[in-house]
Amino acid sequence: MINIKELQASIGDTPILKSLNLEIKPGEVHAIMGPNGSGKSTLASVLAGREDYDITGGSVDFDGQDLLEMDATERARSGLFLAFQYPVEIPGVSNINFMRAAVNGKREHEGLEPIKGKDFLNLVKEKASLVELDGRLRNRSVNEGFSGGEKKRNEIFQMAMLEPRFAVLDETDSGLDIDALRIVANGVNAMRSPERSFLVITHYQRLLDYIVPDFVHILVDGKIVMSGDKELALKLEEEGYDWIKEDVSA
Amino acid sequence: MTPSAEPIVMDLQRKPNIHPATQAKGEALVSALAGQRTSVDSAAKYLSALPVPHRRVERWKHTAVSGFWADYSEPVVQTIEAAGCEACPVPGLHAYRIVFVNGTFDAEASDLPVHSGVRCEPLSMSSAGIEAEGNLESREWFAALNGAFAAEGMKLLVERGVVLDRPLLVHHHTHGANSANIMRHEIEVEENAQVQLIHWSTANEDASGMVNIMTRMQVASGGIVALDKVQDEAGAVHHLAFEQIKQAGSSQVRIHTGTIQGKWVRNDLNFELNGEGCDAVLNGFFLPKGREFVDNHTTVDHRAAHCTSSEQYMGILYDSSSGVFNGKVFVRPDAQQTNAYQQNGNILATDKATINAKPELEIYADDVKCSHGCTIGQFDEEALFYARSRGIGEAEAKAMLVHAFIGDVLEGFAVQEVRLEVEHRLATRHGWDTWNDTIENA
Ligand SMILES: Nc1ncnc2c1ncn2[C@@H]1O[C@H](COP(=O)(O)OP(=O)(O)O)[C@@H](O)[C@H]1O
Ligand SMILES: [Mg+2]
Repeated sequence: MINIKELQASIGDTPILKSLNLEIKPGEVHAIMGPNGSGKSTLASVLAGREDYDITGGSVDFDGQDLLEMDATERARSGLFLAFQYPVEIPGVSNINFMRAAVNGKREHEGLEPIKGKDFLNLVKEKASLVELDGRLRNRSVNEGFSGGEKKRNEIFQMAMLEPRFAVLDETDSGLDIDALRIVANGVNAMRSPERSFLVITHYQRLLDYIVPDFVHILVDGKIVMSGDKELALKLEEEGYDWIKEDVSA
Repeated sequence: MTPSAEPIVMDLQRKPNIHPATQAKGEALVSALAGQRTSVDSAAKYLSALPVPHRRVERWKHTAVSGFWADYSEPVVQTIEAAGCEACPVPGLHAYRIVFVNGTFDAEASDLPVHSGVRCEPLSMSSAGIEAEGNLESREWFAALNGAFAAEGMKLLVERGVVLDRPLLVHHHTHGANSANIMRHEIEVEENAQVQLIHWSTANEDASGMVNIMTRMQVASGGIVALDKVQDEAGAVHHLAFEQIKQAGSSQVRIHTGTIQGKWVRNDLNFELNGEGCDAVLNGFFLPKGREFVDNHTTVDHRAAHCTSSEQYMGILYDSSSGVFNGKVFVRPDAQQTNAYQQNGNILATDKATINAKPELEIYADDVKCSHGCTIGQFDEEALFYARSRGIGEAEAKAMLVHAFIGDVLEGFAVQEVRLEVEHRLATRHGWDTWNDTIENA
């Protein structure tokens, strides 16, 4: 699905990702954990095509395509999705128009006609129920005045609408209470399939009780320093990150 | 300032701020026009006394007038048919119509209201003189030029209590090189009468010259007027539009100005709220491209108590275009309980575009609510990236932000068909394929 090789990225003169390697196969769920500032969001942004970063080395192969050569719109239309750590508010643009443009963008890419109004509304209804997104929120401006939990559910709603092949969830669990966490996790689990892969970025093990990963990686200072199965997340939860940092520097 | 101070704009200029070279250009223009048409003395007498605008006159600081110094010729084309233009620029609009081509009334293309209590005729057929004293014609050189040389326009009277059953479209069209298209509309709306007006200005690709349109409107108590103003002029026309609105108590006037295109445009709106309980609304948007220039100067003079005014101007400036916004609000000592709101928002779409924005509030009453805000910014990069990360193309993402930005003002057009046609023309001009479609379903 996605193969990241020796990826290096910097902001200005500051290197953030320092030769990162990661391969995710179809159907797999990978988790990335790591201390604050280790570069998790940077990885997510670089994959989604944010232009603030300089890619100084490495490659990313997305099902045979050179991901780094594509712009953000193309990446999304080709089936990559990023659930933002901090979803953006867009006053004056209704959630529903926003999603219709997104869905039609993807359809255009696939050589399909724009979706019919009625089909679109049915799709919205179906996907919104997946994350129990209130009908009111669909007509409001994108994320404007949404609570933290509503914003995160809206991200998963958008993901469900766009049915990506590969989704990156950047700290979708942060700021959620246990009910919201369960709703979000259920939404993600409902979308798991042998053809779809996920990269779940989180700071806490808690989310991984609900979205059980096939692999867990630990990112420290722009590099994956350790990989394992879900047990690794539990060990982290108990012992914190210090032992890894010592391990790595030793 | 002492509470009794008169607003600055009301002061007659004691020592005219004259720039000799510019003054000479203005004088040359006046004598050229005087050779081609008769002038009205009551306004013409101010032409030599008033300063021809230049950069050191406050109201013209950022507004270059050098484009007006041209050799104007008598227009050849005088009908909309000969100009190859549609008489009604708004498809499906069910409205009365008065059409002017190069400043000439086109009877064939017009469809004047036939309605009891409404008199609408070309100005040339009425014997109205012009009162310059105390009006803009005595204070502003280009307004005096209009007063002196406008030979045509619309004269409209809506009698007491009459409600005109359809909108009235005034279409100004400019065709050909170097026309001097000078027009004056005189509108009188009596007690409790109501009318919806549309001013629509168009020009051919090869048009150039001057368009100078003065609209003078008297609205008696309880009168209600909506004016939708659309400027969509191709070619290289220099367009000056003055509005002088005098409102009596409990009247309502709303003017919406949409500048779609125009090489050089100045709108100069002047509201006098003379009786208690007036309501004035003045909104506008401008989206200049290329090297276009758009200037909106507004003055709202609160002279009586319990009046409200609300103003919102939104601009998005592309390429190397430039703009000016100046919003003056005076609240005179007697105008207690005034509620005045002003908002001006600007997006600079490139780093070559510029805007000079200046709110000016002068408040001499103590029990008033006045608020104003002015912003200048860029497109929200975070919002753009968010949209692109959902598979929305960059151009479409920007179009969505544009619609969000000027949406309120678009909504405010009084006539629905006007709004739709404006949206259609904007979408065509800026290449926003799905724009109309998206908002239709909003
Ligand atoms: N836009 C930016 N400008 C400057 N530094 C940044 C920017 N984004 C991230 N960084 C820096 O890069 C490092 C990694 O940040 P980030 O990827 O957000 O970490 P994480 O998501 O793991 O907490 C941090 O040191 C952060 O300060
Ligand atoms: Mg982060």
